[in-house]
Amino acid sequence: MSGAAKKKWEAITIVAFFVAALLVPVVVRADYTLQVLFRVFLFAALGLAWNLVGGYTGQLSLGHAAYFGVGAYGLALFSKLGAPNIVAVLLSMVVAILFATLIGAVSFRLRGPYFALSTIAFAEVLRLVAKNLPNVTGGDVGIQVPLLFTHASIISFYLSAVLLTAAVLGITVWIVRSRLGYYLMAIREDEDTAMSVGVNATKYKLIALLLSSAFTALGGALYASLFLYIVPDQVLSMDISSEVAIVAMLGGAGTLIGPLVGSLILESSAEVFKNIFQEAHLLIYGVLIMLVVLFLPKGIVGTLMQKLRFFKSPPQAPFAAKPPGELNNEPERAAIGE
Amino acid sequence: MALLEVKNISKRFGGLLAINDVSFSVGEKEMAFVVGPNGAGKTTLFNLICSVFHPDRGSIVFNGNDISTISPDRAAKLGIGRTFQIVKPLRNLTVLENVMLGAFLHTSSPAKAAAEAVKVLKFLEMDSAMHFPARGLGLPMLKRLEIARAIATQPKLILLDEVVAGLPTSEALRLAGLLKRLPEWGISAVGGVEHVMQVVMKVADRVIVLDHGSLIAEGTPQEVVHRPEVIEAYLGAKYRKLIHE
Repeated sequence: MSGAAKKKWEAITIVAFFVAALLVPVVVRADYTLQVLFRVFLFAALGLAWNLVGGYTGQLSLGHAAYFGVGAYGLALFSKLGAPNIVAVLLSMVVAILFATLIGAVSFRLRGPYFALSTIAFAEVLRLVAKNLPNVTGGDVGIQVPLLFTHASIISFYLSAVLLTAAVLGITVWIVRSRLGYYLMAIREDEDTAMSVGVNATKYKLIALLLSSAFTALGGALYASLFLYIVPDQVLSMDISSEVAIVAMLGGAGTLIGPLVGSLILESSAEVFKNIFQEAHLLIYGVLIMLVVLFLPKGIVGTLMQKLRFFKSPPQAPFAAKPPGELNNEPERAAIGE
Repeated sequence: MALLEVKNISKRFGGLLAINDVSFSVGEKEMAFVVGPNGAGKTTLFNLICSVFHPDRGSIVFNGNDISTISPDRAAKLGIGRTFQIVKPLRNLTVLENVMLGAFLHTSSPAKAAAEAVKVLKFLEMDSAMHFPARGLGLPMLKRLEIARAIATQPKLILLDEVVAGLPTSEALRLAGLLKRLPEWGISAVGGVEHVMQVVMKVADRVIVLDHGSLIAEGTPQEVVHRPEVIEAYLGAKYRKLIHE
């Protein structure tokens, strides 16, 4: 099968999937089901945005709630100041980018687990600030968020989430096929090697984080607008940070559709378990994550792709080509190191 | 004017003077080899030239630019390629993608980068493996991959840190034959070798001998191997006397 034909089929499948997703409200009328599906697509979009930093660039961010919360509070605060909804959303994305620049400038000096810990710290600081500035954010009491759509119908939210997911997926495809994508993956695989071929690792990590933070903020604004009312422990909590990362890792960090698959499985099963097991559903959730980490460390999509694509092993004695002629008569003497 | 001029550089790590007042230069299309026993400071010297470390004293001038205090990615952009002694492939990418990464320094088009990478892989006789992930390769191929990635950046100077270490002699000599052709690509090279002297004798135009961080001898390979200081550095003072009697 040629690569081009395969790519064409992949593209057709993905487009068909999103068209079908947009048509769901024609068939499904139950608000509850649409609400679950909204959550599925919202977290798919957030997982895809996280994937740019955590998956492709390999920088394990566990503080994406910071950008999610900035998006949510940004919409509330800017519209309180009189900005129209769309402007408030755009401004909150800009603020998220500013926060990402600040957080990235500090955190990207650290590598591995130290980076992950510093991202948690920044998100927690933001949560505590939001809790302790009652005059600005309403503190623990919370703040009202405007409705983004003219009707308070779940259908608008659901469709927006689907479109957001499609947009982030489209941008991911574009990045992965461009030089930027190769650079991000190179940084993930080995930062020293990337730098040895002229990649300014700090700059490219920051680019990935800026893109990721803008879309995460957009997702946060959408989520906040559905609830119409937010508190710091809801939109700036560790739960959001870890859920976003888990969605991507379950499906497969650093794969194109991994976060989408992860969100479909995790968010829908979480809903089912919530109904059946009530408070014990978190236990099932935990077991699911443990099983994935143990048996599918590359995530569902990552593991499947590896099984399909790389089942052949490379030639280990590939030097069929003749060595340069002048060396043919060279006596091969004592082994190295003698 | 020389392509690379290293002037009186020193580098200290805590109590260890890793490089002590070393000066030398490398010309266009010249193959210089830095040799010296384990711990002589070869890797430190390479890391100084490609700006991973910065010298405490002295300066490094490359192609007219002072590169003593720049970042490693900047050094790569100026035309300094390098290979790592302990190979550092991008394990989950294919061989082709690994080399494309180097080629991206001069083009943002993946198609052009791939074409350039294939050319380099053909030169290094490893194009048959280009669609396999790098993690499955054995050491001989990984050593070549390091060189391929560096050549793809179209450097003026390439630093080959222990490029034949751990290879069987036959493969080391084959690789030496390929390295000898680097000037065809307009590349000068500074190789670093601990003790595979067959390769040095075959490829090097000039040899620089380091011992305990200091430059103890410099000259053509034939000259250098007979110098008493060099014999002493490798075999000890006893052999210095023995050979010169």
